[in-house]
Amino acid sequence: MRLLSTLLIGISSGSIYALMALALVLVWRSTRVVNFAQAGQAIASTYIGYVVITHTNNYWLALPVAIMAGALIGALSDILLIRPLNKRITSGPVKEIAPVIATLGLLGLIRSLVGVIWGGDLKRYNAPVSINGFTFGHTTIPFSRFNLLIVFTAVAVMAIFAFVFQRTGLGLALRASAFQPEIARLAGVRVDLVRTVGWAIAGATGAIAGVLITPSTSLSPNSLDLLLVLGFVSAVIGGLESLIGAAIGGAILGIGLALILEYVSTSLAFPAAFIVLMLVLIIKPSGILGSKAGRDA
Amino acid sequence: MLKSKPIRFLLLILVAGVLFLLGNVLPDYRVYEGATASIYVIAIASIILLTGYSGQISLGHGALMAIGGYAAVLSRKYWHTSGVISLIIAVLAAALFGVILGYAAARLRGPYLAGTTLALAVGLPSLANQFHFLGGEQGLNFDIGAPPKFLGSNFSTTKWYFWICSIAALIIFWLVQNLLHSRYGRQWKAMRSAPVSAALAGINIARSKVLAFIISSGVAGLAGALLVMTLNLVTPSEFPLSLSFAIVTGAVLAGIARLPGAVVGALIIVAIPDLADQIATKIGGAERISANLPGFITSLLLILTILFAPNGAKIGKLVSHGSTRT
Repeated sequence: MRLLSTLLIGISSGSIYALMALALVLVWRSTRVVNFAQAGQAIASTYIGYVVITHTNNYWLALPVAIMAGALIGALSDILLIRPLNKRITSGPVKEIAPVIATLGLLGLIRSLVGVIWGGDLKRYNAPVSINGFTFGHTTIPFSRFNLLIVFTAVAVMAIFAFVFQRTGLGLALRASAFQPEIARLAGVRVDLVRTVGWAIAGATGAIAGVLITPSTSLSPNSLDLLLVLGFVSAVIGGLESLIGAAIGGAILGIGLALILEYVSTSLAFPAAFIVLMLVLIIKPSGILGSKAGRDA
Repeated sequence: MLKSKPIRFLLLILVAGVLFLLGNVLPDYRVYEGATASIYVIAIASIILLTGYSGQISLGHGALMAIGGYAAVLSRKYWHTSGVISLIIAVLAAALFGVILGYAAARLRGPYLAGTTLALAVGLPSLANQFHFLGGEQGLNFDIGAPPKFLGSNFSTTKWYFWICSIAALIIFWLVQNLLHSRYGRQWKAMRSAPVSAALAGINIARSKVLAFIISSGVAGLAGALLVMTLNLVTPSEFPLSLSFAIVTGAVLAGIARLPGAVVGALIIVAIPDLADQIATKIGGAERISANLPGFITSLLLILTILFAPNGAKIGKLVSHGSTRT
């Protein structure tokens, strides 16, 4: 029973890591940038969701508003920052690091703006459904209705992704722009626009992750930093290219961390995540789903 | 660029003289800022060496500074080492960590390395909260000792810190500058701008990268120990993510491949909180504005620099090491 409930908790937190990982992978695939500002975009969207919740007390209104905000912030980040950057910097010692630096700057910018608007104190809001664990007979497990909702939401997002990427023209355009931008452009795909759409979808996905994780923790301008790192680890486990890989990576990391927290020590969660990251990068840098499998996603 | 070694050395002596005079003339809090700026010069130099020359990015140098800081404090606390020895131990401890990190880093390309080091910066300092002997949130006290007697009885501690930090900065600046002009510096440059040709020319890329990481880590460790010294205390909160970002910002402002720029970068980073304070009082903003304005200005500067002057804010027409690889 203890093992089962640990696994369930792991899947629940892993779902959120997976959403963050999906956001990172989407941006990586569309523009070859690991978007460190994802944490900032998600936090801004989550704060906007928080405003909606405090005014209307309605989580189900806050979630779509936050998603829209996330998509808008994502699209703006691409149009205002990444596009000009790619046009301006084509060589020199900073070429490799320029996107990293730029998203880092964006992270700082968004975070300080959030701090100015909402202050640095911790905010909280309640989950839409019970966060008390399910009870079977006389035992209550930590896994709650809200955890179940998190898993369902993540699975639904992934199902939508799978459909969009495999079955729609937009998905085809996204895949084409990611892998052969020149040929896609020749074939009439508006690559710049498609990339911006990729950023928007990623921003929306990050917003979902932020809105889902906050009831279990609290909201502050840097409360999603750790989620960014864990999302990155999940994405790397999955190979950074693959959407399916990101989902699997999130699940593996979530379950692994839950097991360590439950059976080994609560103080070892971060070192464990870091060691996993190092091991994956050293032993199999292409992730569990190498780039070949990634192209099918 | 001043190529000849004696002239560079004379220049350094001159700078030392000016710093000595400044330390005597300026008010105490300016001297303290001078110490902080010296620490940033050291930290930024470590990034310039690593990123500007060997082409590896690190967003986690705050974590390496933390390792240096804690190593200095622990060695002084448990082994009662003298001040200088504590600083050397800080360098060695951070360099040792740099060996491990460097071996992993040498196999990683840009975004992976950035993510890994970012993970380090987010997670490592908070580890101190989990282990009792590291003092947790309250931290551990650190006292490097009073200024020596011969400096006179009214020689303030602040001035003493300023002396230690600026002398350390001058030494590091001298060493790193010579290193960058040596065989290794040329190897790093070659490796960064044309890895295949460099390998063909007989440069061991992996070893060269690891070496850069080790040296850079050691230098960052020294900066961390000095930071802890000026604060008399080591806690996890002294090494936030924003510290790592500030160092990278300083290096980018400096022109990522220009060592003398480190001084400019450090001065800007130290001046920003002051400037932000003045702006905040002028617009009469609330506490949340004054708390976030420094971060806002730093980030904005970082973005503007990378967009409009990616090889550093040009101050005079200094040498650009930029390669023209297509």
